[in-house]
Amino acid sequence: MKMKTIVLNTIEEHAISDKISALIKGDDMEVINTSGMKIAHCMGCNLCWLKTPGICAIKDDYEGIIKKLVDAENLWLVSDTRFGFVDWRGKRVMDRIVPMLNMYVEFRDGLERHELRYHPLNFGLLYKGQADQEFLEEWSRRVASNLAGHSLGVYNIRKEGEPCM
Amino acid sequence: MHVVIINGSPRVQKFSNTDKIIQSFVKGLQASGSSYDLYSLSNRKEWDAARASFISHDQIIFALPLFVECVPSIMLEFLETLPTERQQPAQMSFILHGGFDEGHQLRLCERFLQSLPAQLGCTYGGCLVQGGSFLIRMRDDEKMKKTMTKKLDAYTKMGQSFVSNGNFMTTEACKFTGSEKNPRIAHLLFRLFIKRLVRKKFERYAQQWGCTRPLDDKPYLNSK
Ligand SMILES: Cc1cc2nc3c(=O)[nH]c(=O)nc-3n(C[C@H](O)[C@H](O)[C@H](O)COP(=O)(O)O)c2cc1C
Repeated sequence: MKMKTIVLNTIEEHAISDKISALIKGDDMEVINTSGMKIAHCMGCNLCWLKTPGICAIKDDYEGIIKKLVDAENLWLVSDTRFGFVDWRGKRVMDRIVPMLNMYVEFRDGLERHELRYHPLNFGLLYKGQADQEFLEEWSRRVASNLAGHSLGVYNIRKEGEPCM
Repeated sequence: MHVVIINGSPRVQKFSNTDKIIQSFVKGLQASGSSYDLYSLSNRKEWDAARASFISHDQIIFALPLFVECVPSIMLEFLETLPTERQQPAQMSFILHGGFDEGHQLRLCERFLQSLPAQLGCTYGGCLVQGGSFLIRMRDDEKMKKTMTKKLDAYTKMGQSFVSNGNFMTTEACKFTGSEKNPRIAHLLFRLFIKRLVRKKFERYAQQWGCTRPLDDKPYLNSK
């Protein structure tokens, strides 16, 4: 069976798409450019866990993303960075992922975790700009562990002519 | 001492666990003769005033819930609106909490918070770390009420401690976290007995919230 890969590109530049396809390989891959989409911050209401299981109370363009994630095995985030971490646009599409989990808890990798509502998701990160690579790798591992998957890696998208380090 | 407190949760103040923690913490500040201003980022109308206070005061505390292993996106957005240099020196401290009770789950975010003040022209005043905040709002039965009241009272003590020490860089604040991870025996007990009870508890909450579907329902599975 083909592994479906969803790429959430939160960087505005369209030139980035070449770099995405150069760095991420997948037989069945869909890049979703979120910069023109209407996506609000998660408001932490918990309704997607306790009142309307799996359905976010915010009605915006993220619902379409959730529907696609239900069929995916791999999720990549493409994000700009700030303060050494992904910026708020990148973090925003991750905070909204909570309906993919359910309220029930279990132990996974020795830690308390929520059960997956559908199935495990692997997680990877492409980032732009100055950031702490090691920190992002640890974040990516932790996010993947929340999603019961593994980290697909963390890569820096460098500008043309920019030195490696 | 005058402390500017900013609630970094996107959840409306009325329902925010962070707000409950802050309300207990400031009781301690006040008991020690300090005053405070509180801003909640969930209300956009407070952003300008919060920023102005951040710029003009020297004791700033951000209180925030862990969201997907780090800072909530709304708080990251607010941080981007702050100046990166300042005229007056200031100290930034943090009250970080999260749903799960293991301290380990909060450490990566704590590391991020340690690196933040210097990027905004401030010094670091430490981070008060404690998990297990998910149930603060769920004080329906007597036992839960007792546990959560005890938890919140501990924050009041830390408010007093903050005034006398000027920061969270104390042994007291360090011990506040409790255990980093659950011992293996806890995993076993959880699987054997506790898991079922916890599920029941959540199902009861859901019922109170008016939920009519199973909590592990898969609404989008056949949606195409
Ligand atoms: C989108 C979202 C992501 C969360 N991620 C985590 C997490 O990674 N680890 C954790 O321990 N708790 C997590 N939580 C739980 C919250 O930190 C916890 O419920 C907290 O008490 C919420 O505070 P508030 O009511 O002020 O928003 C998450 C909650 C939400 C809504």
